[in-house]
Amino acid sequence: MYTLASKRVFNDGCICQTLRACMAKATGLPEVSSHRNISTRLMKPEQILSESHYRLLRCARHLSGRPGGAMNVFDRAMKRQQKKWAASLQDSDKYDYLRSEIGLRVADRVYDVARTFPLALDVGCGKSYIAEHLSKDIVERFFLTDICSKSLRLQRQSEMPTHCVQADEEFLPFKENTFDLVVSSLSLHWINDLPGALRQIQRVLKPDGVFIGAMVGGETLYELRCSLQLAELEREGGFSPHISPYTAVTDLGNLLGQAGFSMLTVDIDEIQVHYPGMFEVMRDLQGMGESNCAWTRRPIIHRDTLLAAAAIYKEMYGNEDGTVPATFDILHMIGWKPHESQAKPAQRGSANVSFADLSKIGKGPPQQQS
Amino acid sequence: MSGANAWTRSRERMRLFPELLAQCAVEATAYGKCVTATTVGKQELKKDLCLKEFEALKTCFTTAVRFC
Repeated sequence: MYTLASKRVFNDGCICQTLRACMAKATGLPEVSSHRNISTRLMKPEQILSESHYRLLRCARHLSGRPGGAMNVFDRAMKRQQKKWAASLQDSDKYDYLRSEIGLRVADRVYDVARTFPLALDVGCGKSYIAEHLSKDIVERFFLTDICSKSLRLQRQSEMPTHCVQADEEFLPFKENTFDLVVSSLSLHWINDLPGALRQIQRVLKPDGVFIGAMVGGETLYELRCSLQLAELEREGGFSPHISPYTAVTDLGNLLGQAGFSMLTVDIDEIQVHYPGMFEVMRDLQGMGESNCAWTRRPIIHRDTLLAAAAIYKEMYGNEDGTVPATFDILHMIGWKPHESQAKPAQRGSANVSFADLSKIGKGPPQQQS
Repeated sequence: MSGANAWTRSRERMRLFPELLAQCAVEATAYGKCVTATTVGKQELKKDLCLKEFEALKTCFTTAVRFC
């Protein structure tokens, strides 16, 4: 897993100060290190990491689910820029509707778990849409992480004390077995190495801790994708991907299982938002910080293609009242870190009722059988 | 990005697009129907298959820009 953080360390030794400080705390070792040379380039002594930090990063690299390491679809630096731009908009609150709604639904699921969580983590929180719906007797302390510091600074009010950490979701700078609860809302779809990230979330959870997440997946924005595709085919003779690839709901169960979670729950919520037209859809996506950042994206879309796509979108998917729908498929997942107190599947042959008795329910007192 | 640059200028121009497109609803529907016909029919969508309808849409659009 060749994340942004690892790349920086191996290539030029610079690493975000916050991240280094967190890593030092996480591994409990002093920040300024020994003089072991990791890369062949010339580096300032204070930028060289210690042997154990180096091993930690190397381990993280091998946590990737893919053989041979990297799956590099998204430009994380660009995503951070886009989020920073979206957070610096004057009217950035206008674009928060989807995130607040999903934040509310995730908080709902946290309430459904009848437990108090002393320490919780929000991965990729943005302005933090989940903490504001939770109360102090459910979560006592909250850690908020995001790749963009600007949105962390605009964090919304919440009841419990929060700590903000600027960190990449693919490299969580926390010790093992730290958190009772990890939540994530609408940020997992920009992660390059999703199996690795899920494994790291499982690692920072305490045994019998729970991960409750919501990510965009399935057939999200299929209307936009199809309209752009058809328009580009007709106008330019070929097409390039403008919408990111999403995880299918069927794959999510496997991903969570491979990461080491048990007692999985996966469900899908389809939210359809109506817009006046295709340009408003794109403007809102931009305002949410959800612009395309795949490495294979084209830097421009021609005016003609945009015009054609808007016409196709309206014609193919338009409603009677003149608006167009945009679909967001939200995949909700709950996974638990294994623990002895959790229910295990029963032993084979230990059943003491038969399925045949099912038909006798509600038919009066059962006949005595020898 | 602060200040006026190519991105802010083009974003301003793009803000007018929806209203201008609304003025060309007829041509837009015709073009849309031509393209969607290929998704259900036997004909594959090729470059410039609906060129005539698109040219009509484009002229309507540029006229709307000129007179807006």
